[in-house]
Parts: sequence; C-alpha cells; structure tokens
Amino acid sequence: MTATTTTPATVGEGAAAQPLGVYTRPKGGNGWRDWVTTVDHKKIGILYGAAALFFFAIGGLEALLIRLQMATPDGTVLGADMYNQVFTMHGVTMVFLVIMPLAAAFANYLLPLQIGARDVAFPRLNALSFWIFLAGGLFLNTSWLFGDAPTGGWFAYAPNTGVTFSPGHGMDFYALGLQITGIASLLSAMNLIVTVLNMRAPGMTLFKMPVFTWMILVVQFLLLFAIPVITVALFLLLFDRNFGANFFNPEMGSDPLLWQHLFWIFGHPEVYVLILPSFGIVSEVIPTFSRKPIFGYEFMVFSGIAIGFMGWGVWAHHMFVSGVGPIAVGAFTLSTMFIAVPTGVKILNWMATMWGGKLRFTTAMLFATGVVSMFTVGGLSGVTHAVAPADTQQTDTYYIVAHFHYVIFGGALLGFFAGFYFWWPKVFGHMLGERLGKWNFWTMLIGFNLTFGPMHILGLQGMSRRIDTYSPGFGFELWNLVATIGAFTIALGVLFFALNVIFSARRARGLPPVGPDPWDARSLEWFCPNPTPVHNFDELIQVESLDEFWHRKYGTDENGRIVRVATAEEVCQKGDATDVHLPSPSYWPVVLAAGFPLIGYGIMYNLWLCAAGGILVVMSIYAWVFEPPDDPDGAHGHEADGAAEPEEAPVG
Amino acid sequence: MILKRLCRSGPAVLAGGLLALLSGCAAGAELDTLKPQGPYARSIDNLSDPVFMVAGVVFFIIFGGTALMWYRFRDDHTDEEFPEQIHGNFRLEILWTVVPALILVVISVFTIATLTGLNEYEDNAMALSVDGAEVSWEPEILVVGQQWWWEYRYYFDGLDGLDLSDARHLPPADIVTANQFAIPAGEEIELTLVSRDVIHSHWIPALNGKRDAVPGRVTSWKIAADEPGFFFGQCTEFCGLSHSRMRMQVVAMTHDDFQDWVRRQLQPAAEPTGEAAVRGREVFESQCARCHVVNGVNDETSKGADLVSNAAPNLTHLMSRTTFAGGIFNLYEPGGNLNRTRLEAWLRNAPAEKPAYAEGRRGMPAMGLSEDQIDDVVAYLVTLGETPTLDIIAATEVE
Repeated sequence: MTATTTTPATVGEGAAAQPLGVYTRPKGGNGWRDWVTTVDHKKIGILYGAAALFFFAIGGLEALLIRLQMATPDGTVLGADMYNQVFTMHGVTMVFLVIMPLAAAFANYLLPLQIGARDVAFPRLNALSFWIFLAGGLFLNTSWLFGDAPTGGWFAYAPNTGVTFSPGHGMDFYALGLQITGIASLLSAMNLIVTVLNMRAPGMTLFKMPVFTWMILVVQFLLLFAIPVITVALFLLLFDRNFGANFFNPEMGSDPLLWQHLFWIFGHPEVYVLILPSFGIVSEVIPTFSRKPIFGYEFMVFSGIAIGFMGWGVWAHHMFVSGVGPIAVGAFTLSTMFIAVPTGVKILNWMATMWGGKLRFTTAMLFATGVVSMFTVGGLSGVTHAVAPADTQQTDTYYIVAHFHYVIFGGALLGFFAGFYFWWPKVFGHMLGERLGKWNFWTMLIGFNLTFGPMHILGLQGMSRRIDTYSPGFGFELWNLVATIGAFTIALGVLFFALNVIFSARRARGLPPVGPDPWDARSLEWFCPNPTPVHNFDELIQVESLDEFWHRKYGTDENGRIVRVATAEEVCQKGDATDVHLPSPSYWPVVLAAGFPLIGYGIMYNLWLCAAGGILVVMSIYAWVFEPPDDPDGAHGHEADGAAEPEEAPVG
Repeated sequence: MILKRLCRSGPAVLAGGLLALLSGCAAGAELDTLKPQGPYARSIDNLSDPVFMVAGVVFFIIFGGTALMWYRFRDDHTDEEFPEQIHGNFRLEILWTVVPALILVVISVFTIATLTGLNEYEDNAMALSVDGAEVSWEPEILVVGQQWWWEYRYYFDGLDGLDLSDARHLPPADIVTANQFAIPAGEEIELTLVSRDVIHSHWIPALNGKRDAVPGRVTSWKIAADEPGFFFGQCTEFCGLSHSRMRMQVVAMTHDDFQDWVRRQLQPAAEPTGEAAVRGREVFESQCARCHVVNGVNDETSKGADLVSNAAPNLTHLMSRTTFAGGIFNLYEPGGNLNRTRLEAWLRNAPAEKPAYAEGRRGMPAMGLSEDQIDDVVAYLVTLGETPTLDIIAATEVE
C-alpha cells in the first residue's frame, strides 16, 4: 500500500501537464462516464448486481418459455430446436450470468468493507473483471440476434456439441462466451484473494473475518483452480469445432468421456462457487436478526473450507450411468455422500444460532430462513442420488431438475435476496420496503415450491430432462401444469421485488439517508455511514474481535448483562474524506474488455475481426501500463495538511 | 410406508404436504421409477425407499425445528434484553458432525452392496431353437443408439469375439429390430450398448436404471422382468433435436412365446403378392433401400444407410412392432387397423412429423413420393411381418 503514496507529480516526467496525450486519466464525477470508468469496488459491485439482474430477467423469461412449452403435453409454444436453445441458454445464463455475478456483486461491494479496506487490491483489474464479464454475457446473448443460440445444454456433452451434430455457431457462442466470462472470474478471484490476504484492517486475523468474507475467499480459491479446467475444455471444444482438432471425436479414437471429466471437474466445484456466497450471506443475516453471535464460528468456517476441498472429489457422480466402472462409481458415491456432512453442520449451526435468540422477521431474515429450509430439501434429495444405484433411476430426470433448483434457487438465489434486503441501506442509503418485501418473499417461496416441488414427483414418475415435449398418458400432465403456475408465481414475486426497488427509491427521494445502523448489525461495513461514502472508512479500524462493530456498541455490566455502551452514531464513522486519496478512474478496462467479443465474432465469422480485437486488447494493455497512476488534477488535496500520512488505496 | 403411498415422491414434496396428498398415483404411469417389475429395479427401489425415509425424517426435524423456533424465539419486543450470547458448543457440534456421518456410513454399506449386485452378471444360458438348430443362448442383446431411435441386435452365437469397436459397421446379426424388442421374462438379459453418433442413455425404469451408450465405447448393463408384460423406456441422455422422441418398448414373453417370436423374426420378408404391394416394393428398392434394409430384399447388398449414423431401422418385420419412428407413433389404431393416416404422413414428410436434420443426413428426409407411390409403399409395408394381437396393440399404445 505504499507503492503509490508518491504524488503523481513525481511519477514520470512531464506528468504535471498533459503527460502522455490520450493516456490521461478520466476525472470521475457523476453520470454515465463515471460508471464506465470507475475503479471503485462499490460502483463495480453495483454494476455487477445490475448486470446480473438484467440477465436474471432474460434467464427468467427463458424459464417462463420453458414452462409454457411444458405446461401441457405435446406443447407447441416452442419447436424442438427453439426449446433446446432456450433451455441451454436458461442454464448458461442463470449459472454464469446471474448467480456468479450476483456473488461477485456482493463480494465486490462488501468484502473490502468487511475487512476494513479502502478498496480491493487491484481496482483497475477489478473494473476489467466486470467489463469482461459483461462483454462475455452480452456476447453470449447476441447469439439470439444471430438466430443461432447454443443447443447443446449448459453441460455441452461431446460429441453432440461437435460440428457434425451442432452445425451453426451456437456452440461457438457457448465456448467463446464462457471463455470470456472465465477470464473475468479468474481475474476477480486473484484480485479478491490478494485483497483478503493482504488488506485486512489491523488486528483482523483470518479468524476474525466475517463468515461471508471467509466463504468468498473459499469461493475465489475454487474459481482459481476450477476455471482453468473449463478453460482447457472450452479451448479443446473450440479447436475441435473450428480448426478440425479431434479431442472429442470418437471416430478418430478419442473418448467423449474426456469432456465429461473435464466439465465436471470444473462443474462440481462450480456448484459450491454458486452456493457458498449465499451461505456467507445467511451467516451474516441470521446472527443479526437473532441478536446472537453465529453459533460455532470455527465450525462454520472449517465446514466451508471442507466443502471447498471435498468439492473436488465428487465430480464423477454426474457420470454414474456413463459406464465409468463400478469401482469409480463406488468411490464417488461415498465421497458424494460424505460431502453432506459439512453441509449439514452449516444447517444445524444456523439453527443453533437461532435457538434461544430473539428473532426479528425482517424480509432479510425471512429469506435467510428460507435458505435454511429450502437448501435442506436440495441437500437431502442430493443424498438420495448420491446413492449410485438410485441415481441410475433418478439421473437425467426431473428429479434432478428439482434437486438442483432447490440448491441453486432455494439455496443461492434466496440467499442473495436476503442480501439485497439486508445491505440495501448500506448501498443506497434507504431501506427496501418491508411490506412489499414480505409479498416478495412469500410469493417467491410459494411459487418456488409449486414449481420445483412437483418436479420431484415428475422425475420419480419417469419424466426425462431436456425433453421438449411429452406425451399424454404417462401421468405427467397435472404436475407440469402446477409447475408452470408456480413459475409464473415466481415471476410475480420478482415483480414485487422490482416494484419494491422503484417505490422505495421514490419514497426516499428528498429524505436524508437512513441512519448508520438500521439492523443493529455486527460487522465492519457498518462503521461506514449509509450509503457508503466513496472512500469507505475515514480511518483504519483497529479490530479486536469478530463482530467488532457490535462489540463497540455493547459491553457487559458487572452482572454479566449486555448493556449498550455506545450508540451507533457514536461508533459509526462520519464519512469525512479528509486525507483520503483515491485511485483515479480509467478508460482502459472497458476498452480492453471490448476486444474480447471482437475476437469471438472473428473466430466465427471473419478472422480479420480477431486481429482487430487482438490489437484492441494489446493496445489497451499498453495504454493501461502507460497511463499515469493518478489524475494530476484530481481532488486529493488534503495532503498539505500533513498531520497524518494519508491512507491510500493502491492503484491497480 | 406412508412415503410409498404418496407415490414416494421424495422429501421435498412433503414440504408442501398438501401437494403430496393430492398427488396420488397417476393412472398410466408406465415410466414410474417406483413401480419395479423386475429384480434389479426392485433392488434399487429397496435401497432408495429407506433413504427417502431417512431424508424425510431429517427434513421434518429441520423443518419442524425451524418452524418451532419461528414460533418460540420470535422477538416479542417486551424488553430490550439480549438473549444469552452463546458462541458455540463444541460437543454439540461434534455430535452433529458424527451422527450424520454414521447415518451415511450405514446407507453407504447398503449402497455398495446393491451396486455390487447390479454389476454382477450371471451365467444363465437358455435353450433356443434357431433355424432348426438347438443353441444355448445366454440372453444378451446388442443395443445401438443413434439419432433418434434404438436398434436391437440379437446374436445367438453370443457377442464374445465380435468386433464392436465400430458401431457403424457391426457384424451381421441374427435378428435386427428397432425401438421395440422382446425378452424372455424371468431371465437376466445382458445389454451391451454402443452408439453410432452421440451419447444416448437406455432406460427402462420398470426393469432397471439407465446406462449410457457412448460412441467409441462399449458399455454393459442388464435388465430383467419378473413376468411377461410391456415396459416403456425413453432415451435420457440429451442427444440433440429429437431427444424427446427417442423412445422404446420392451415386450417380456414366456419362453415359448419368445421362442416363437425368434422363429418369426428369423424369417426373411415374404414376397408381396398384390399389385400395389409389388409396385410398393419397387419404390422401396429405388427410394427407401438407400437407408432401410428388408431381409431377403437388400440385406445382402446394403452398404449401410446414407446417414451420419450409417443406419436406419430394419423393416423386415415392421408390422410385428406396434410403434414406429422412434417409438413415438402408434402403428395400429386401437381396433387393430393400420394407423394409415400417421404412416402416410410419415412417408409424405417425415421431418414435419418428427424434427430431424435431414439436410445434415440425420433423421428421415421427406422423400418426395407421389400420393400413389405412398399408397403403394404402404401396401408393401403391411406385408412385412405379422400383426401382433389386439392386447399387445392396446398395451403398447404410445400416443
């Protein structure tokens, strides 16, 4: 953090005037230009959240189309080909463009705040991660505009995704799009790992970090090791499709199971990438609204780490019927069963946290308890097909569809909604409405169970997954109709959320921001006023315990009773930016990111575009390197004050 | 077994207990995984039933516990006192680490035992008369997946020593049929699975779980039916455009009936006699024979089909089957008459009936036959194989 404490004037010759022509840094300020060039982790977090919700709307529409098609037997809403495109893009969108970026939104916004830092370790890199993610997500979705969305399923099993069986560019969009978003995830993983390991406030040892920060850290390590695997797999697929390689071509003697191994070695840790951030959020929300500390902090952290490790040893449970051999099936059935143990520990510790507490059922708390119960369903159905012989009946049926929606919707997404309601005042300075919030929660919960509960029955009745239609007479009619009704109920719940966002913002207009501590919260981010000022903390926080914020507010009297020792206003910082020096915005992250889709289109349509994209990327990297570390005219003018060494964020 | 009565619909359904009560068991549930009709499917069912029970109990504990806490520990705002600040309880946490682990150990013992049983193959040779010769046949069938139908090949000399490495060029078989196949009831039937294009998965829920047919690999599985009967299946590995329209039926027969089925299937196609049928055969030879085979007509000369998979259904005994086009259309009307409308529509423009990539040589193309030619071809096709009995037609209705 010392590398950039030199003033810009001393960096590089001639930096005082217009140093290197176009390479001057943007000024920041307000308006769209500020959002496009920002390197502020909070703005980037908001951008991630907004982009994820945008893609959530797309993925949700795709889900509704799926349910419309399946509402009745012999459905004709979508043709077979369109259905395959829609279900493929629904899966890809929800996994890579909704849940992962939502986790990134919360991680970006909260992680530096929870460890008492000014920003992430590499702010420009952070911006780059977001823009690359957005570029990749938009690129993937432009496949709709080309009329050529991928049809091979998000799992893209070879050789069906080869050029013989998937002609057209759909699977190229898939391979390239995920490759691009993968770059974003990798950069972000490295950035956040360095941030957590190096930038914690004084006194905050690893075991004084909030559980959310811990879970995000575990997730970043999972990404760091899992993304390279899918990167390799996607490159092989891309080479197969575009350059006549034969990595997955059985006619040339290669084994299509190679793809499955590669995909699931990535794909199973990916499941924990999706779910652990939500576990972290729930671990923040439940203690706050139970007015108790988290039960068994160490167990919570270690079970998260254990899930992270064990997540690498269970991938072949996706392949129980692929003919991998009974020894492998036996080994993976055991490892899969036992990953339920650390997961169960988390559930029971959340319950123990609530036990004996004083539960306040805010919307955030409702969503968090929703995670506890709904994820339990997904976990238990997971155990039922960890049992490999049972899985030979259940795999590739709607039972599995039910299972992973209970995990990813019931576990991950509900957790993010808990996070929205909990941290909305932190981010925007006003609360989301509780009344609409409760409508939001209950319609979503009921709709969710109506949609995916019946799918357990359908699966056990023998309804296969990924079929674009089914015949009457197999007993599938009733529950499919119920599921469709449920899906529209979910949509209604999401609509309530959108209305809540709009109405609460309108209501808050002209009013002063909400007070510093609306929930009687516990962790470091609440030291900042709401909404968080651009510089985060006025001064470094000396951390003495887990839940530092709470411990500053409360002490014990001579009888051991908990008494308030300070008001939130006293504890909370004032948002005074004196002596704070922030990194300047930069054009280059967004420009650099724009190069990747060009390369993608180039590979599909015209290799010259690749050259253009490549030049853009390389030039942007040079520009990035040569731009001065700061805007020379930027407002950071209190250093003359000199009383304290200004605390600065590094310039990534 | 409450769970069983509720269609054993899994713990989540119990979440909406009312839903589960409403579920009941559907009338026509031919694919139901919870109605095993053979020893292997039953061994899976016997294993998963108690697992569902355990999962259900755990679910009720968690759900009940959460509900209880919602009620009991609700903040009633009577005072601002903090509840007791408990940071954890090491013993308790060890307990709820160890107890679930022990439950899982118990489950895993039974899991491994069942898994082992499902992967053991017995020697169960049965006597069979094939073309007048007595053979000892260990019931095994070569199952070949391709977009978007199943082929079943019977080799009465056994599969040992046959070169199955190239599924597009398999050794000639004694019987070749498509989408509907016969097995002797009460016997272990070993399935050897290969694929001619992409990965498919063969699944007859009543008789056992599923197994993938993977191009370039040879996989094995087994099925068995307790009693004679009809069992439905569906390809369950996403295999492209018409994945949902890749279905199959098994007919389990008594030994005698099976012997009779084998005898009839071994016959080459009968010579057509009617005028239309003769003309139809000419159309067949000029148009259909590019892909399809009829034994006695072009089985000697066929070099395979002009398709990516190099195969199209063998039509020698078409009429002995009750479905066509990947097991999705009834070949007969309920009364036993030919389902002429459907068959003619299929011959007129197959891709309109079942999505296919004919231009990519996957699936049956529109042949551009005239209406007269279609009539002739139908007249010829109805000579191929004997019509099954009405009860079979009724039991295997798919539409």
